[in-house]
Amino acid sequence: MSGTQKHIEKISKTVEEWLRPDNLQLKDAIERTAAASFFSFEDIKHRILVLKHSLTQKNLEKWAKISKLRENSLRDKDVLCLHAGNLPLVGIQDLLAVVMAGGSYSGKISRKDPHLLQTFLNILDVNGLLPNSHWSTEISDLSGRNADALLFAGSEHSVDSVLQTVQKLKLLKPEAHKLMRTAHFSIAYITEHEPQTMEDLTESVFRYGGAGCRSVAIVVAPFHLNSQKCSFTDYVEALWLNNPQHEKPPESLFHRFAYNKAMEIPQAWLNDFLIEQTFLKPDNKFILHWVKGNFETVQTIVNQFQDGLQSVYSTADYIGKKIGEFRIEPLSEAQSPPVWWKPDQVDTIEWLQTHIGKSAN
Amino acid sequence: MSWNIQWNKLIFSSDVSFDEKCRSVFRFQAKNNPFYKRYLSVFGMNFDSSPDPDEIPLLPIRAFKDAEIITEHEEPAFVFRSSGTSGMERSIHLIADPGLYRKSITKEFYRHFPREHYSLLCYMTGYNENPDSSLIWMSKHLVETDSSGCSSFITAEKQAAGRYIRKIKEKNRIPVLFGAAFGLLDLIDAGISELPPDSHIIETGGMKTYRREMTKSELRQRLAEGFGVEESQIHSEYGMCELLSQMYAIGGEWFTCPHWVRVTIRDPENPSRICEPGEQGKIGLIDLANVYSCAFILTEDRGTKNKDGTFQVLGRWSSADLRGCNFLIDRD
Repeated sequence: MSGTQKHIEKISKTVEEWLRPDNLQLKDAIERTAAASFFSFEDIKHRILVLKHSLTQKNLEKWAKISKLRENSLRDKDVLCLHAGNLPLVGIQDLLAVVMAGGSYSGKISRKDPHLLQTFLNILDVNGLLPNSHWSTEISDLSGRNADALLFAGSEHSVDSVLQTVQKLKLLKPEAHKLMRTAHFSIAYITEHEPQTMEDLTESVFRYGGAGCRSVAIVVAPFHLNSQKCSFTDYVEALWLNNPQHEKPPESLFHRFAYNKAMEIPQAWLNDFLIEQTFLKPDNKFILHWVKGNFETVQTIVNQFQDGLQSVYSTADYIGKKIGEFRIEPLSEAQSPPVWWKPDQVDTIEWLQTHIGKSAN
Repeated sequence: MSWNIQWNKLIFSSDVSFDEKCRSVFRFQAKNNPFYKRYLSVFGMNFDSSPDPDEIPLLPIRAFKDAEIITEHEEPAFVFRSSGTSGMERSIHLIADPGLYRKSITKEFYRHFPREHYSLLCYMTGYNENPDSSLIWMSKHLVETDSSGCSSFITAEKQAAGRYIRKIKEKNRIPVLFGAAFGLLDLIDAGISELPPDSHIIETGGMKTYRREMTKSELRQRLAEGFGVEESQIHSEYGMCELLSQMYAIGGEWFTCPHWVRVTIRDPENPSRICEPGEQGKIGLIDLANVYSCAFILTEDRGTKNKDGTFQVLGRWSSADLRGCNFLIDRD
């Protein structure tokens, strides 16, 4: 067994230990997160379940292979991770990338998700997988870290202020590399309305109430919204029955509904969400844009809106096809991605090794 | 219902309360403006409704970009278009009754600058590229209605400007220099800054911010110094292609409305909610002179209102779509 395999096995065992049903620390963190209303209990449960399935030893090994992970390639390197807080445990992939490559982790944990990641960090630490690491919900606690690289995921609008803070607090070395990921929406292309497709579409749009870059904000379909409005609404209601919308939209969404009505734009008002047949770049997580079109339409949208686009999903006939740099992913995996998924089309391990990793020998 | 109403008389009448006039305009538009009628229907309102002015849903101003906003049975006499660079969406305001615009312009302008004392010098060079500019139309109307014949458009040509100023003074009148903020700064740079000390300056806002960014107070100071007048003689005008009325801030940064206009500040997250005095939000307008288009408008301008009813324009709510009707830079 190679050193890398042993390292991954150790990480995998730590993940198992963390996700065990009798892990009282995690149970307590879940309860506190739900009680503080950071996320709904259902969303957290879903996220934990997805991690249970994706963070297996086999999958971690596959990621290591895909990313050409080298043993201890980040030894003596410190990576600053600024985690977003829009989904439960959203920063876990960055943390794993650093740990798998043997780097030190400096983490700014989101104040909107302060408990869950903490429990994983504690177990990693106890098992000796976080050498020279430090984390906090207060960025000022990381002052003077002088990290070698920065992993950021969040809104484009916050990039400038984040970089200013990073500089002010001397969190990075002057020559440090920065991976700023700002994608905030995904696209789905469906060609029929079979129950499985519509269920997957519903999940991809509404699972986290529209939040997160993997959530679908534009759907391209060969039929008008009006023709599927009633049945699609049924699927949404079925999902919401078990997973009620956690965050409510502002009242201004209702005013937008009224404006669409004046404009005679086909739409569906779902109280907590708006589906509208418009060809617009998404800027509101409570709106799904429905576009009538074919594969060429999808290509046009990808070309036009690629700045901000995370993923393009579809069903069997189109999975694996490429539109520019976007390889079409299965719609069913929108909210349950494999551990090797690429935020902003970048493999984090590969990026870290390329920019700050030690060479193969 | 008969709509045999003489809007020109009703809207500008100070004998009828704003609320009563507003209700008439609301019912007229709820019945005859198809776009606004559909908008209202979502709020459960129609022409039978009798909401208080503050309860009337305000139509997002982008409607003037997206659709033709005009009441049924009216033919536009002409069209105003907002300024904008190529590729930029431009607002279109279809004007059914130019008489309303004329009256609105003169009533409010002459309230502040009585026609028997003041003459206007308009410097509008940046707007010549937009023949459908409502500001140019307004300026022309004010120049034409000055019976002294002293009002005029001027260029950045020093000698000609000097002649116009002398003519005004020879007739014992007071010059009012009127222009876009940065155009006025151009005049100072061009050396056309020798105004009589009793002159007044009205700046109408930015012109695509083609110079460096500047706060309102900085602009006022530079205009006062540049033209050699007191800051109390520097005024602002707030108007736009989508409105037939203008507001003026006399000697400061706080605007007042003519009696047929009401301004509220709206919560961008919930435009039905009116912000508290001092709270920032989007500027909401009821301009009854817009009776044939839409009188109830939610702008994308950032503003705040005082307890005394005056309001301030603080820039755009979103910086993504700078248009150039009023000063666009957040104050310091």
